[in-house]
Amino acid sequence: MQESMNTDSGMNRGQDRSYRSVLAKVGPGRETWRWLGQQLFNRENPAMYFDPLLESINPLWAQRYIPARVEAIESETHDSKTLTLRPARRWGGFRAGQHLNLEVEKDGRWYSRPFSLSCAPSHWEQDGTITVTIKKVADGEITPWLLENFEPGDVIGISRAYGEDHTPEPGYPMLFITGGSGITPVLSQLEAMADRHLRNPVTLLYFVRTEADVIGGRKLQALAERLPNLDLRIVAAEQDPQNPDHLGPHHLQSVEGLTERECFLCGPPGLMKHAQNLLADAGVSDEQISSTLFAVGPGVVVTEDAGGTVHFSRSDITVESAGDRRLLEEAEAAGLNPRYGCRMGICHQCACRKTSGIVINQQTGQPSGHGEETIQLCINVPQGAVELEL
Amino acid sequence: MQKLSEEQLENLAQDLDAIRNEQMADLGQRDADYIRGIIRLHRTLEFGGRAMMPLGFIPPFFLAGMTSLGIAKILENMEIGHNVMHGQYDWMNDPELNSQTYEWDTICTADSWKRTHNYEHHTYTNIIGKDRDYGYAVLRLEDETPWEPKHLLQMINFINLSIFFQWGVGVHELEFEKLRSGEVTLREKAEFLRDFARKGGRQVFKDYAFYPALTLPVAPIVIAGNFGANLIRNLWASSVIFCGHFTEGAENFSEEECENESRGHWYLRQLTGSSNFTGPNWVYTLSGHLSHQIEHHVFPDIPAYRYREISPQVQAVCEKYGLHYNADSFPRQYATVLKRVAAFSLPDRMRERLFPEFRGDGGPAESPDNTRSLVGRLRSRVSNTLSAAA
Repeated sequence: MQESMNTDSGMNRGQDRSYRSVLAKVGPGRETWRWLGQQLFNRENPAMYFDPLLESINPLWAQRYIPARVEAIESETHDSKTLTLRPARRWGGFRAGQHLNLEVEKDGRWYSRPFSLSCAPSHWEQDGTITVTIKKVADGEITPWLLENFEPGDVIGISRAYGEDHTPEPGYPMLFITGGSGITPVLSQLEAMADRHLRNPVTLLYFVRTEADVIGGRKLQALAERLPNLDLRIVAAEQDPQNPDHLGPHHLQSVEGLTERECFLCGPPGLMKHAQNLLADAGVSDEQISSTLFAVGPGVVVTEDAGGTVHFSRSDITVESAGDRRLLEEAEAAGLNPRYGCRMGICHQCACRKTSGIVINQQTGQPSGHGEETIQLCINVPQGAVELEL
Repeated sequence: MQKLSEEQLENLAQDLDAIRNEQMADLGQRDADYIRGIIRLHRTLEFGGRAMMPLGFIPPFFLAGMTSLGIAKILENMEIGHNVMHGQYDWMNDPELNSQTYEWDTICTADSWKRTHNYEHHTYTNIIGKDRDYGYAVLRLEDETPWEPKHLLQMINFINLSIFFQWGVGVHELEFEKLRSGEVTLREKAEFLRDFARKGGRQVFKDYAFYPALTLPVAPIVIAGNFGANLIRNLWASSVIFCGHFTEGAENFSEEECENESRGHWYLRQLTGSSNFTGPNWVYTLSGHLSHQIEHHVFPDIPAYRYREISPQVQAVCEKYGLHYNADSFPRQYATVLKRVAAFSLPDRMRERLFPEFRGDGGPAESPDNTRSLVGRLRSRVSNTLSAAA
């Protein structure tokens, strides 16, 4: 089975590509600009040097991320909303089923969070807008704040779109199994199917807790009309608490020609694992299944104790930390040679990019956030799985 | 050296850690807004200065352009570059303000600076033989270094260092004195020299080739203005930095005193080895808040504009442990720096007669609770005997 996970740093990638595309449009070659940027402003992207001034004149002129104007905000459920965004024209567009990072500043800190695009590429191509559907992650740091603090007219940062291209192809029958906010990339794919007037038989099994938790209800209704071969089955699994109806073999048995179908899974990890097993039992081969894990939002697993798996991504080394050694020592024990200085938190020589996971600062006892940020190796220990750019 | 018991040192570390944790927990939008405001001011002054320079054949424009560019360079080096490279804004997660990637507008490369300044100077502050910033290997400022006749002329070195400060800082890591003594070889410095040449080349190209060439008919005026701007920055930056550790009451330390030191002892050394100067807020900003060198050395990675706010708390801690908090107006502190340079240019006996305040280890002479260490007394006695023998 193929999995697309948001493992690379969307933020850096987005920026990298954005400045390249900006430079490509301006006269002299990319190398010339890069050289001039180094000579005059000590940075590769000369445009970024002007950002602080450009941004204060018009936030849509910012270069370090791609600004997008919030056009409309619609409530989907009590804890989810769909944002209609109008990105700056230099944004590169997307393919059905892809994702982007929203880049926001909260309390002076930059956060980058992945979300699925919930509309077909035709929206961007025809009127320059896109939609992103956000579900509040309970106890999340960013999503509750995002849903409360943005209004039409505001400007938000976005990255380039990334992730596997799931543009639907004509011919083969399909089965989507989704749960909760996992519906969002599927909305994009189904809408793309409708745009291309495809007539593939499609079954959508959409699991929600109760009927009030259906995300994209209006869009699904509209799609049912545009896609004559869409078999839409919304399962409110806990509508009747006495008689819950979770994903089981009976849901799959009623899918016609199951073993012939291309299957796409998106939802909470538990549901996806279960769906995989059921599909395998029903005789669906691995190659027919593709899935996206992250649409449920980054799972925050906070364990009480320090220690966990540390992955040094550049050298591709993984070690198990018992939490009794600082990350600098873990790296050295793994045979790596990270730069360091004082080894006591003063000099920041060992500062390193953490791409995911939580670390505990041993000087303050404070855990970090789970997102991408720079940490000091000499004073931090991992708390759960951590990935470092080392 | 002012001494504290092991228990006092432990308490001192706790008291200072408490201030530090309180500040770290409070980091937020205010800090982000502050540094962005400074960056906007810097860009405005730089572009303003460079735009005015070609009109420099009219004297007021020349003065305004040169001053504007000079102040821009001061702000970039001191309030932005120095502080960003200390990791003061790493928590913002803004790639433009990251200690690992920031490159500043001066000859010295960011990497070289972080090795010699963040690590060597901030870890081994004022330890003779380990902190090469103490006298920059061209000034004798204490009596552990034996007097030689060449020191008689060190005021010339001092003036040259002030005028060409960015070049001095740029070649600092070459360790010229160690090259001469054969302790390191030129081959070991090859990488440093290559980086130095590249960065130095850029800085020269920008100010003395590119911008003058853009304004060819008035190129000499632009060259003169840019030279003036660099000179303004060099004089101010060097003066501020000299006032941080070379003033009369700022102590220096021997390697033996600091062997296997505790965190508390490191704190003590930062408190007693640094000195502040007072003035209006704009002077603090232009000094990158190195006016508060004591606070900076105790908390090198707290956003610098907070130093003036926590200064009363640090003073209270000093008072609690009977430590001298060395602060005075800029002119008075600078005068004692000049006095120190002059005093230690003389043979020891002559110095002790002419500059009785620079006897021994240069601890606070008139501090009422001055408890001069045994080592310090012994050391000055030994050097007296030596110079008497000479």
